Amino acid sequence: MTEANTPAIACRKLWQVFGDGAEKALTDALARSGNDADKAADLLRDAGMIPAVQDANFEVHDGELFVIMGLSGSGKSTLIRCISQLLSGTGGEIRIDGEDVRGASKKRLTALRRQKLGMVFQHFGLFPHMTVTENVAYPLRVQGISRAERTERAREVISLVGLEGREDSFPRQLSGGQRQRVGIARSLAVNPDIWFLDEPFSALDPLIRRQLQDEFLNIQATLKKSIVFITHDIAEALKLADRIAIMRDGKIVQIGTPTEIVLHPVDDYVREFSKDVAKGQHAIVSSVMREGETQFGPDDPGLQTGMTLDAALAKCMNLYEPVPVRDSSGEVVGIVHPSDLAAALQVDEA
Amino acid sequence: MSADEQLTPHALTHLTRGTQVALITLLVGALCLVLEPLVPWLVIWPAEWVLPATDWVGAGLKWFLEGIKPVARLFSELMRYPMNWANAALGATPWPIVIGLVTALGWYIGGLPMAALGFLGLSFVLSSGYWPQSMNTLALVAVSVPLALILGGAIGILANEVPRVKSVVQAVLDVMQTVPTFAYLTPLLLLFGFGPVVGLIASAIYAAPPMARNVMLGLERVEPEIKEAAIMSGGTRFQQLFQVEIPSATTQIMIGVNQCLMAALSMVIIAAVIGGFNDIGWEVLLTMRKAQFGEALLAGMVIVVFAVIIDRMSGALATERKRHDRRVVWALVAFGVVFTALFWSSLPNASEFTLMDPVAGAVDSGLTAFTQANGPWLDALKNNSMFYVLLPLRIGLDQAVLPFTWGFAWTPAMSYGLFAAGAVIAALMAWRGHATGGLMVLIGIGMLETGIANLPWPFVLSGTAALGWVAGGRKLALMSVILLSTILVSGLWERALLSLYLSGAAVFACAVVGGAIGLLSAVSETAWKIVRPICDMLQTIPLFVFLIPVLMVFQIGEFSAFLAICAYAVVPMIRYTRHGLVNTPDEMMEAAISSGATEWQILRDIRAPYAAPTILLGLNQTILYAFAMLVIAALIGTTGLGQSIYLALGQADVGLGISAGAAMAILALIADRMVQGFAEERRQALGL
Repeated sequence: MTEANTPAIACRKLWQVFGDGAEKALTDALARSGNDADKAADLLRDAGMIPAVQDANFEVHDGELFVIMGLSGSGKSTLIRCISQLLSGTGGEIRIDGEDVRGASKKRLTALRRQKLGMVFQHFGLFPHMTVTENVAYPLRVQGISRAERTERAREVISLVGLEGREDSFPRQLSGGQRQRVGIARSLAVNPDIWFLDEPFSALDPLIRRQLQDEFLNIQATLKKSIVFITHDIAEALKLADRIAIMRDGKIVQIGTPTEIVLHPVDDYVREFSKDVAKGQHAIVSSVMREGETQFGPDDPGLQTGMTLDAALAKCMNLYEPVPVRDSSGEVVGIVHPSDLAAALQVDEA
Repeated sequence: MSADEQLTPHALTHLTRGTQVALITLLVGALCLVLEPLVPWLVIWPAEWVLPATDWVGAGLKWFLEGIKPVARLFSELMRYPMNWANAALGATPWPIVIGLVTALGWYIGGLPMAALGFLGLSFVLSSGYWPQSMNTLALVAVSVPLALILGGAIGILANEVPRVKSVVQAVLDVMQTVPTFAYLTPLLLLFGFGPVVGLIASAIYAAPPMARNVMLGLERVEPEIKEAAIMSGGTRFQQLFQVEIPSATTQIMIGVNQCLMAALSMVIIAAVIGGFNDIGWEVLLTMRKAQFGEALLAGMVIVVFAVIIDRMSGALATERKRHDRRVVWALVAFGVVFTALFWSSLPNASEFTLMDPVAGAVDSGLTAFTQANGPWLDALKNNSMFYVLLPLRIGLDQAVLPFTWGFAWTPAMSYGLFAAGAVIAALMAWRGHATGGLMVLIGIGMLETGIANLPWPFVLSGTAALGWVAGGRKLALMSVILLSTILVSGLWERALLSLYLSGAAVFACAVVGGAIGLLSAVSETAWKIVRPICDMLQTIPLFVFLIPVLMVFQIGEFSAFLAICAYAVVPMIRYTRHGLVNTPDEMMEAAISSGATEWQILRDIRAPYAAPTILLGLNQTILYAFAMLVIAALIGTTGLGQSIYLALGQADVGLGISAGAAMAILALIADRMVQGFAEERRQALGL
C-alpha cells in the first residue's frame, strides 16, 4: 500500500438517490438538515425517495484491492455503478486518477472505458450471440481495432484466465465458472488500470468460488490493478481485501483493514458479520503488538508481525511473559503479551 | 366478505364495494324498467339528441385526407414498382424453380420436416390450379412484409431509445390492434384509390404493431448486465444497440417477424374484399358469392397451406439455432432449374392444373347430399340455438317468446313471476352470505327479460361504471363511461349493443366450452395431444377462411357468424386455461398432496385459484379475438357495428367507417381494461 499523490479512485460526499426530481430533493434535504447525512437521508425517505448511497467518502489507492461488503439492499451494487458511471450519481464527487468523472461528457466516459476501466458482473453479462473470443475481443472491436490484432490480444487474456481450448464456444456451452472466466478475460482485454468486480463469484458454487478466488489473487499479484470488489461474503472480503468498506442501508459504516474489521468492529452490525469468522485466522500479530517496547521475558518463540493470531497463540501456549516480535528483516519492532493474544480472540464475548 | 356480512346482515354501510355497486346498478335498471312507460327516453336514446358526429368525423377526415392525398398517390405510384417487380418475379419464375427454392429454404431452416412441408404444400397449391393467384398474393406479402418490418422495427427501437415516447407508442399500438381491420380500409381507399396498393398498405399497417411490440419487448428483456457490459466495453450507443442489444434480443424479434408475416398474410387476404387484384382472397370471395363451396374450400385450403408454411418456417427460424447442410440446398435449387430446363417445352402452365377440380366437385356434391340428408337435424340445431338462446339474449324474453316458436306468448304475469323467482334466489343467496352473487342473479334475470339490444342506456352506463370501478378504480370507471357516452351521443348505440350482444354470446360460449376443453386438457395428457394441434391450426388459419365451412353448412346468417367467431375465439381460452392449471408450482402441489387432498380438491382449492389470473388473461384474449372476428363475420350477415363498417367500405363513407371502427375499438378497449383489471387484482391477491 504505497501512498501515491493522487488516489486511483476518490469519492467525496457521494449520493445516489432514486425518485423523481432526486437532484433537487437531495439539495433541499442537505440544506434543511445542515449537511447532516443521516438527517438528510431520513428527509429523503419521508419524501418517498430512495437514498441508495448516502454520503460515501473513501479513496482507493494505486494497486489496492478495495472490497465493499454489505447485505443485499445495502447499496453496494449501486455504489460500484456510480463509480463506474453506469449510474450518474445524484450528488458529490467521483475522481478517477484525479479526473472528475461525474462531470465528464458521454464521449469522455466512453474514452475512459476504452482505456482505463474494466468491469466483471455477478451474472457474467456475456453476449449470448458471440463466441468466447468474440466476447473477450468486444471491447477492442468497439475501438475499431483490426480483427487479427484483437483476436490475438483476446487469446492472451483467455490463456491468462485458463480457458484455452474453449475459444470458439458460445457462452451457453460453458459452465458457470468458465463463464465468469470469460467475464474476467473480457474486462481485462483493454488492460485497464481500474478494475470493477461486482460480486463476481457469488453465483458460483463454493468449490469453484474458492478456486477462482485463488486464481484471482494470482492474477492480481502480477497485474497490480486498482480494484473495487463487491461481495456479500465476509470470508471472501477478509481473504481478498487490502481494505474493506462495510455498507449498511446505503451508508458506509466502517472502512478498515481485515484485521481492524475483525478486531475492532465499530458497531453491532459489523460485529455480527465478524462473529462467525475465526478471528485468529484473519487478524495478525501487529494488531496486538506494543510497538517500540523492548522489555520482554526470557522466552523467544519467534513471533513475526505478519503472523496470524492463531499461529502466534500456538507458539505462546505456555508463556506468561511478554515476547519479542520481529519484522520480516528479523529486527525486533515490539513486544506482545500472550494474554493480549488470547484477549483479542475473545473480543466479542466481552 | 361473507363472514363480514353474516356478522352484520343489516348494516348497509358494511357492504363491500362490489355489493354496493351491484345494488346501485340493479336500482338504476329497475328504475328504468318501471319508468319506461312514462319517460321512454330513459330506455332508448332519442334520435333528436344524437349528434351528427359521424358526419363531422367524415367531413374532418375527408378534408384531412384530401390534403395529404397527393403525397399518398405519389407513394402509391412508387409502391407500384416493387409490387410489379415482385409480381413479375414470382409470376414469371417457372413453378419447378419456385418449389425447389421453397423446399431448399425449408431444408436449410428446419431439415427434412420443413423441406417436406414446403414441397408437399406447394405441390398441393400447384395441383389446385390456384398457382397464379397464390403467387399474386405472395407478391403482395413479399412487398408489404419488409415495409411492416422496417416500420415496426423503427417504431420499436424509437420507443426503446426515447423513454418519453414509449407510453405514447404503446397506446397507439393498442389502438392500431383494436381498431378493426376493415375500418381503416375505407380511408385508405380514399387516399390511394382502388387497387392492390391499398391492400398492401393496409397489411403493412396491420402487420407493423406485432413487430414493434416484439422489438420493444425483446430489447427491454435483454439482461441489464449485458447492457452494462456493452457500456463498460466502451461502445457508443449505436454500437451497444446494434452489436449487442439487438443480437441478444434475436429470438424475441424473430417471433415478431413470425407474427408480422402471419398478420400481413391475413390482411392481404381480407383486403381482397375491395377487389381489383386477381389474388387468392378474391378467389375465395368470388366462389363463396357464387355458392361454389367446393372451390371456395379448395382456395381456402390453399390459403391455409401458405399460412402453415410461412408460420412453421419463420417459427423455426426464431427457435431453432441449427442450420442444415448447404450442399443439399444447392442440390434442391439445381434440381428445380434442371427440371425446368429439361421439360421447358412441355412444362404445363401452372394455372392449367386441375387435379383438384374433381375433389372440389366431389365436395360440392357431397355437401349438397350431406345438407339434404341432414337438413332437418342441422336446421333444428340452428333454429333451436337461434330461437331459444340467441334471440332471447338479443331482444329479451318478452319479445322473443312467441306462440310461433315457443308455443306460448309471453305475458306480463310471467315477467313478474320471473322477477319474483329471481328475488327469492337473491334473498336466499344474500342470507347465505353471497349478497353480491344474489344481486348479480337479479341483474342477469333483468337483462334476459329485456334483451341486450334493448337495455336502457342509463343501466348500461351505470353497470359499466360499476364494473370499471370494481376492476380498476375510479379512473377506469370514468374512462369507460366517457368513452361509452361518445358512442351513445354519436348515434351508433343500437349497433354497438348488437355487437355487444353477439360478441358477448360468443365470448360466453367460448368461456364455457374453451374452459371445459382447457380443463380436460389439463387433466388428461391424451386430450391435450389431440387438442393442441387443432389449436395450433386454428391460430394459423387466416380469419377469412373460418367463414367458408360455417357458410357451407349453415348458410348466411347470425348463427353462422356466431359459430365462426366461436371457432376463432375459443383457442386462447383453451390454451390459457390449460396453461394456468398445469403450471401450479410443484411445491404447492406437494404441500396439498401431503395435506391429504384428493385430485378434485387439489383442482378446486389449489390449481383453480392459482390459475385464475392466467385464465382471466385468456378470457381477455378471447374477447379481443371475438371483436376482431366480429367485423369479418359481417361478410356473412351480422348486424351491428361490423355491418356498418362493411357498408361504409362499400359506399366509401369515411365518417361512418371510422366512427363505427372507433366504437368497436372502444368496446374492445373497455372490455380489455376491465378484464385486465380483474386479472391484476387476482395476481396481487396471490402475490404474483
